[in-house]
Amino acid sequence: MLVLFSMKNCFKLLSNHKVPTAGFKNTVKNGLILQSVSNDVYQNLAVEDWIHDHMNLEGKPILFFWRNSPSVVIGRHQNPWQECNLNLMREEGIKLARRRSGGGTVYHDMGNINLTFFTTKKKYDRMENMKLVVRAMNAVQPQLDVRATKRFDLLLDGQFKISGTASKIGRTTAYHHCTLLCSTDGTFLSSLLKSPYQGIKSNATASIPSVVKNLLEKDPTLTCEVLVNAIAAEYAAYHQIDNHINLINPTDETLFPGINSKAKELQTWEWIYGKTPKFSINTSFNILYEQSHLEIKVFIDIKNGRIEICNIEAPNHWLPLEICNKLNSSFIGSKFCPIETNMLTSILLRTCPEDRKLHSKWNILCENIKGIM
Amino acid sequence: VRAAIRTLRVASAPAAPCPPRPWRLTVGVLRTLHTGPALLSVRKFTDKHEWITTENGIGTVGISNFAQEALGDVVYCSLPEIGTKLNKNDEFGALESVKAASELYSPLSGEVTEINEALAENPGLVNKSCYEDGWLI
Repeated sequence: MLVLFSMKNCFKLLSNHKVPTAGFKNTVKNGLILQSVSNDVYQNLAVEDWIHDHMNLEGKPILFFWRNSPSVVIGRHQNPWQECNLNLMREEGIKLARRRSGGGTVYHDMGNINLTFFTTKKKYDRMENMKLVVRAMNAVQPQLDVRATKRFDLLLDGQFKISGTASKIGRTTAYHHCTLLCSTDGTFLSSLLKSPYQGIKSNATASIPSVVKNLLEKDPTLTCEVLVNAIAAEYAAYHQIDNHINLINPTDETLFPGINSKAKELQTWEWIYGKTPKFSINTSFNILYEQSHLEIKVFIDIKNGRIEICNIEAPNHWLPLEICNKLNSSFIGSKFCPIETNMLTSILLRTCPEDRKLHSKWNILCENIKGIM
Repeated sequence: VRAAIRTLRVASAPAAPCPPRPWRLTVGVLRTLHTGPALLSVRKFTDKHEWITTENGIGTVGISNFAQEALGDVVYCSLPEIGTKLNKNDEFGALESVKAASELYSPLSGEVTEINEALAENPGLVNKSCYEDGWLI
């Protein structure tokens, strides 16, 4: 209760509706509606962590709206190599984030709205939240055929997924968040969420691919802004609070003490890649070298994002066994990451005799290995 | 007000950890608790539906039947590294079921000496046998 009180004093009330600021005192009674001014996925995820860790939500549920610049977000127990095209993401400068809730992989851009429903653990009810969202959409467009599935997804016209759900349950609080596709780049989404990596064996939680559609394609009046306002209005009515969207800045340490370090943690390699459940790769690739085809076999075990076991097998006549073994042992303990592989390659080449042929072979090999990372 | 909040948060934090004892969370050679002296085979429950049994200073932790039913089918168990030192009420991992990641809290202070490796391949053991084969740490 006291935490909410301090936030109340600090909030700059910039509401979408012209409600006098005196009305805010009443808003705090039974709930709160927030919207982030940031489009940084890590900052926004940090807001969720902060509210989850620090606020007492007894009798005061919170709805939080946020949108991100192009990012791929994987679930807590997922494997990014299995879920998305990391090579493409690096080329296009698309961020990768791992959230703390469960569920599958999604693509966010400014055409997607994220909604987070914060409640006490007792009041955690995903279906109630999804029904609220459906009611809000039907209030704007009564003809719209949107339904919640048993897995808390939203389907448009009974076939197109427009929303996916995930949640996190803590000691006393819980949050349920979902996406909402208004005007996302669907083609880009499909190519980003398709993994090119072969031979991965993992017990990480796997996404269930679905055919998606944007609401805007169905009805041009359903813009992000219209939907945010509609859902906020429905939430306000349901919880009997003022229909007041409070804009918040996720980098504001006076509002959210300690939030910047939460955002930092979410950006670390250790969190994003290192939290990947143990997995193995069993694959091969072909190299064209001076008009002959060579098959390179790869067996790698990765734990905490680092190579634990490495067995790259190249034909002996092409690359001497002892050189191959040297390469394999040098990889052990290093991050399963193209940048680190680059570094390793440079270091190894320096220890090698000035053998141009060997150097070029090694370079080709490492280029291909980087391709599977 | 801000100072008050800080005090409040600190006050609500868990009390000082249990006095140092040779607790180790360990191998779950879980003997069912029927016979034997009550001292050895008592299963205790937290208010968050974790259970712990102890034998010779070694504790085994799992979740209750109520908890596993509420969770639904567990599809992934995230458990700590062996050697991790836990204080009472520390978060030590999570169970995932139907897209919800549910945190796990340690009922006691101690050091993790073993985790249930079977759960990696078969997380459903937590549902099927929450008091025996589905032990966590």
